[in-house]
Amino acid sequence: MKIDNLTAEEQPIFELLKTVMDPEVAVNIVDLGLIYEVNLLEDKKEIHVVMTLSTRGCPLGDTIMQNVEVVVEANYPDYKANVELVWEPEWTPELITDAGREAIG
Amino acid sequence: MQAGLSTKNAPSASVVLPHFAFGALAFLTASVMLLFVSEDLKNAQYFFSPHLLALTHILVLGWISMVIFGSLYQLIPVVMEVKLYSEKLAISTFALFSSGLILLSASFWSFTFSHSLWMEIGGGLVLLAIILFAINAIKSAAKTERKTIENTFIVTAVLWLLLTVILGLVIVFNFAFNFLSISHLQLLKTHAHMGLAGWFLLLVIGVASKLMPMFLIVHKLPTKLLNYSYFLINGGLVLLSLAYSFYPEKWLLALSGLLVVSGIILFLRFNQIAFGKRLRKKLDVGMKLSAMGFIMLALTILLGLVSLFRPSFLQALHLGTDVLYGITIILGFLTSLVLGQTYKTLPFIIWLKYYHSKVGKGKVPLPQELYSDKVANWHFYTYLIGMPILIVGVFIGNVITIQIAAVFIIITAVLYNYNVFKILFHKEKVQ
Repeated sequence: MKIDNLTAEEQPIFELLKTVMDPEVAVNIVDLGLIYEVNLLEDKKEIHVVMTLSTRGCPLGDTIMQNVEVVVEANYPDYKANVELVWEPEWTPELITDAGREAIG
Repeated sequence: MQAGLSTKNAPSASVVLPHFAFGALAFLTASVMLLFVSEDLKNAQYFFSPHLLALTHILVLGWISMVIFGSLYQLIPVVMEVKLYSEKLAISTFALFSSGLILLSASFWSFTFSHSLWMEIGGGLVLLAIILFAINAIKSAAKTERKTIENTFIVTAVLWLLLTVILGLVIVFNFAFNFLSISHLQLLKTHAHMGLAGWFLLLVIGVASKLMPMFLIVHKLPTKLLNYSYFLINGGLVLLSLAYSFYPEKWLLALSGLLVVSGIILFLRFNQIAFGKRLRKKLDVGMKLSAMGFIMLALTILLGLVSLFRPSFLQALHLGTDVLYGITIILGFLTSLVLGQTYKTLPFIIWLKYYHSKVGKGKVPLPQELYSDKVANWHFYTYLIGMPILIVGVFIGNVITIQIAAVFIIITAVLYNYNVFKILFHKEKVQ
C-alpha cells in the first residue's frame, strides 16, 4: 500500500491526518486504517489523499472527508487538497493499527 | 457527491427532531400511567382492558413507533443510500400521527367497548398518517440501487405496519357495527402479533443488521442467517394471522409460533456472532441498553412459548404470563432498544446540524459530549432494577410490587427526558 512508501514530504501530512477523528469511535482515521494514499503533487500544487470509510452509507463520511480537506489546507496553504473516496480495496478491521485497537478499547 | 455517502442525503433536522421530543414525553406519560394501571395489570386477561389498551398504544405508537419514524428518516439514507422521498410528507405524517394517537389513547382510557366517534376519528387519523409514512418509505426504497436483505426487512416491516393499523381500525368499527363473525379477542391477537413481530421485529432486524457492524466494528457477518430468518418470521406470521382469524386450532398456532421463534433465534445467533467478533469490546451506555433489549427478547420468546402451549400445571396457578409476554416485548425489548439507540442517533443528528461545517476549523465537542453520560448510566440502572421488579409483580399479581417498579420506570423516563432535551436544546460550542 502507498502509505508504506511515503516520501519525506508526505510523511508529515500522513501524521497530520492523525488529528482527524471518527466522531463515533473517537479514534483518528489513520489508526482506523482509513487512509490508503497520500500524494504530494508538487507540479499541480495539490495534496491528493485517497481514503475509504469503514462502511458504505456512513452518516459521518463526508464530515470526515471535509475535516481532512480543512486540516490539510490549513497546514499547507499553498496547496489544494483533493480527497478521493474509494471502496476498493474494501476496508477490513485488520487495517486498524495496534494504537487504534488500544484506543477502541 | 461520491457514492456511498449519506450526510448530504440526510433530511433536515427539523423533520426528525420533533419525533424524539414527542417520543420522550410519551414514554414519560406511559411510565406515570403505569402507576395507575397496577390493578388492571394484576387482574388482566390479555390486554383487553380500557386502561391497558390506552397505555399499550401510547407505548407502541407514541413512544416506540414515533422514535422509530424519526430515526428511519435519518437511517434510510444510511441503509439505502438514497435521499428521503419527501420531507413534506414526513411533516404531515407527524402532525396526523401525533393528533390521531392522542385522540385514540384518550378514547381508549374511557372505552366501553361500543361505538366511539373519537376513537374512530383518532384511528382514522393514525391510518392516514401510516399510509403517508408507507408511501414515503416505499418511494425512498424504490430509488435505491442496493437491493440488500436489510432493505427488504425494512420495506416488509412497513407493509406489516400498514396491515396492523388497517386491522386495528377494522376492530374499532366492528365494536360499533359488529360486521365480522370472528371474535374480538382473536382479532386483537392478530393485530398485536402483526404489529409486534411484523412491524417492530422485522424493522429492528433490518436496521440492527446494518448498524451493528458500524457500532461494534465487526465485518463479514453471516447474512445468510438473516435471509432464513426473514422467511421464517414472515411465513410464521402469515400463518399465525390466518390461524387466529379462521382456524384457531392449537397445533396450527403452535406451528406458526415456532416458525416465528425459529426466525428470531437465527437473528439472535447473528447478534451473538457479531458480539463475539467485535473489535470494540467496551460497550457505551447506548449499546449496554441495546444488549439488555436482546436479553428481554429471549425472555419474550420463553413467555410466548408458555402462552402458546399452556402447560396444564401452569394454568392452575393463574400466573400473568400472557400480560408478561406483552410487557417483556414492549416495555422490555423495544423500550430498552429505543432508549439505547437514542444515544446512537440523536446526538449525531444534532452534532451534524451544528458542527458538520466546522470540523477541523476549531475544537468541537464529540457527539457523545452532547448529553450527560452519568445521567444515561443512572437511567440504565434504574431501568435494570425496575424491569425485573415489574416482571415479578405482574407474574405474581401483586399491586404494591408493580407500583414500586413503576416508580423506577418513572425515574428512568425522567432521566431519559433530561438527556433528550439536553441534546435537543444544545447550544453550539466551537473553541
